Amino acid sequence: MGVSRFRKMGLSLVGVALLASLGLTGCSNNPGGGSSTGADDGAKADDSAITVFSGQVGNYTAPNFNPFNNTGAFLQPTQGAIYESLFYFNKAQVSDPVPLLGQSYSWNDDGTVLTIKIREGVKFSDGTAMTADDVAFSLNLYASEPSMNGGTQRYDVKKVDDTTVELDFYEVGFTMEAAIVSTQAIVPKALWEDIDDPTSGTNENPVGTGPYMLADNGYTPQAITLQRNPNYWGTGDEAPTIEWVRYVTLANADAATTALQQGEVDWMGSFLPTLDDIVADSNGAITYSNTPLNTTSLFACMNPDLGCSGPQTDPAVRQAMYYAMDRTQLNEQAGAGFGTPASPTLLLNTVNEPQITNQDWLETPQTADPAKAKSLLEAAGWALGDDGIYAKDGQRLSMTVIDVSGWTDYNTIAQLLVGQFAEAGIELIVSDIAQNAWTQAEVSGSYQLSLNSVNMQASSDPYFLYNYYLSSGATAKVGESTQSNNTRYSNTEVDDAIATLATTNDDAVKAEQYGIIQQHLIDEMPMIPIYVNSALCEYNNSHATGWPEEGNLYVFPLPWGGNWGTGILLRTVRPV
Amino acid sequence: MRFYIQKLLFYAAAFWAAITLNFFIPRWMPGNPVDLLISKMSAGGIPVTPETKAIITTQLGGIGQGSLLEQYWAYLKNLAHGDLGVSISNYPAQVSSILGQALPWTITLIGLSTVIAFTVGILLGMFAGWKRGSFLDNLIPFVTFFQAMPYFWMALILLLVFSRIVQWFPFAGGYDTFAFPPIMPGFNGEFITSALYHGVLPATTIVLSSVAGWMMGMRNMMVSTLSEDYILTAEAKGLSPRRVRMVYAARNAILPSLSGFAISLGFVVAGSIVTEQVFSYPGIGYTLWSSVANNDYPLMQGCFLVISVAVLAANLVVDLLLGIIDPRTRSTTA
Repeated sequence: MGVSRFRKMGLSLVGVALLASLGLTGCSNNPGGGSSTGADDGAKADDSAITVFSGQVGNYTAPNFNPFNNTGAFLQPTQGAIYESLFYFNKAQVSDPVPLLGQSYSWNDDGTVLTIKIREGVKFSDGTAMTADDVAFSLNLYASEPSMNGGTQRYDVKKVDDTTVELDFYEVGFTMEAAIVSTQAIVPKALWEDIDDPTSGTNENPVGTGPYMLADNGYTPQAITLQRNPNYWGTGDEAPTIEWVRYVTLANADAATTALQQGEVDWMGSFLPTLDDIVADSNGAITYSNTPLNTTSLFACMNPDLGCSGPQTDPAVRQAMYYAMDRTQLNEQAGAGFGTPASPTLLLNTVNEPQITNQDWLETPQTADPAKAKSLLEAAGWALGDDGIYAKDGQRLSMTVIDVSGWTDYNTIAQLLVGQFAEAGIELIVSDIAQNAWTQAEVSGSYQLSLNSVNMQASSDPYFLYNYYLSSGATAKVGESTQSNNTRYSNTEVDDAIATLATTNDDAVKAEQYGIIQQHLIDEMPMIPIYVNSALCEYNNSHATGWPEEGNLYVFPLPWGGNWGTGILLRTVRPV
Repeated sequence: MRFYIQKLLFYAAAFWAAITLNFFIPRWMPGNPVDLLISKMSAGGIPVTPETKAIITTQLGGIGQGSLLEQYWAYLKNLAHGDLGVSISNYPAQVSSILGQALPWTITLIGLSTVIAFTVGILLGMFAGWKRGSFLDNLIPFVTFFQAMPYFWMALILLLVFSRIVQWFPFAGGYDTFAFPPIMPGFNGEFITSALYHGVLPATTIVLSSVAGWMMGMRNMMVSTLSEDYILTAEAKGLSPRRVRMVYAARNAILPSLSGFAISLGFVVAGSIVTEQVFSYPGIGYTLWSSVANNDYPLMQGCFLVISVAVLAANLVVDLLLGIIDPRTRSTTA
């Protein structure tokens, strides 16, 4: 750290000298480095600054601050820091929706009318007031723009009074709640109403309500600079106090690790296998949080009716693999021990604990049980061959698993599974392929097993996950492209349960449906869960404190684009 | 004249072949950009609804629609208008602007390093060949050692020593992106100082690892040129050693290296993926790599177009120049 200060000071001295010699006025100081230069001694709150590494590798390619861009190419601070949604749904811990631009919302009993109360006194960063007209306009974009609604309008938006907006759905609309109230940016009508297709522009000069706004000259292809929004509606604990926020690009995790250790980066979300050592070496400056969200699983092309072929189409084989895994070893060696136990229901046994309907389903076995795997196989008619591999009707129990080469955790898992499955008489062949080929294989069904993760969708509501991965409507025959259900799972009982979930707000009815779906998952196991993959965030406490940490995960903290919690995090941390 | 017309025609045909391959090769890769985009969004925590796929396909409209021949025709038409299209993975950024912001970094860094490596290598090689067995000549195994060392390894060692252990140089970036208030890229002292400072380590890597090739080539050509009869004649005439070395020996010995140099200048625009990765340098190497990884056809086409045009142009210039410098290259047709 000491030498790093010297370097910075040297650099800014050169800069100052150069500027002076060019006869330019101006002063270069460096609040990012804390008290690293003379100019910063007794730093005022106005100079406070933090630097974020969002995981952006390579250059930023365009000043794209369009919150409606739906290819995910908007810059990371866009959703959350610059633009806000009505509410924030926290995926990191069980909690009520956090009111942002909305104050409250309620459904009628049929689920056809959603009434939203809007916060008063909110201003956009250009100083104009946000009104119910702006909210209605923004929500109406989402309802009526073909590039945002998928071609089908499902509700009408109307302004009731100055603080109330009402959405009238054509059919039961419960399932759209999360998307509408927690992922839809509220934009100023005056600036957007004349734009033909709001999704297709870059919106270089964003005007939002968020705690931060783009600073003057804030965009370069290598860094984005945000400044505190003086018009922000929040007060007290809800008001941002750090003046500057910088998002930087780096090439890889090595550079990020260096940046973190040298105090150049204050907040980042990278998987660092040696994190424990880094924390121990930092004298308390570096802390981290772990918010596991996505369940690393073995996906099986499991439905012979839709064209899948191979031993993995036999449910007994999938069950056997479930018990043959030594998940403790997998987590230690592939996940550096940061993974957490998964649930066979594919839900998280943290935030979704109330929705897991059977206590036995909270956790997968953590150690291998090859004897149980073998007995399951034998009960299903498989017989051990001379080569130590089971066979049935002349077909050896040998399968190929695909994963993306270079995704080292997956590569390690695949290699370990070869040995673990061999103990249970199952042969596994690993094929590391490029990501394009892997995606293509999964979508078109030309695979037997694949390492992938079950990802939480719009919110932690299990409906979204089950609908995404299990519904028949989202799958297709092998050879055709699926929407999202790549295991080709298809079951009318599950489809009915998902349809019921979509049209009810009654917790008892929901629990019953969850039970049906989960029982099928346990029996059929289209995806065999391994562990919940870590999602690590690292913080440097020498410039700012108040980061979301274990026990106080007030937001899901990864600084990814599309994480609406980033604004709440940025307005909560306090300068040191 | 016939020589030049033939050359130009040949290069026109090569150019057409290059842009045609640029179009077809990306499309022969497995996978399609929309599925990739969706799988990445899903893994990155961006909610994906059942409609998302339809929406994105519509939004990226035109890409992958129509028959391959129709697409090819549209591609040629757009190229003729200088329109490289919209990047898929960076929608709605224009390919031309993405290339435009990365190329200056690459051209400056790799271009300067290549020129430095070439100049230093040729000069050292010339003296080494002139005085065989001298100190300089004995230096050759030593510099070859740097060339033999894997590129990324040397970059990592330099990074470890000079930015981690002694911290003389920055560990990442093309300029100081961590400063507040921001340094703006452009012609201002602060930026240029910072950019030069950040360029030292990557440039050193490139120079160290490529100087040996030029040096060896030049030295060996020098040695064989020095045994030519005309050198003996020149010496017998009593010309000064300096004149013999520069005008009689070096001028002839440099010819093969010169064409090699032109070709390597052409490849400058391809960047140096490894160097850029290790030093987080904002050049085109990463853009090229990510365009391939994302099946981003327009961006790939743009990158490959720039590379093929640069390489072809460099070759054309060398061909024409050699025709002037060395009349023998024309003589077969004359």
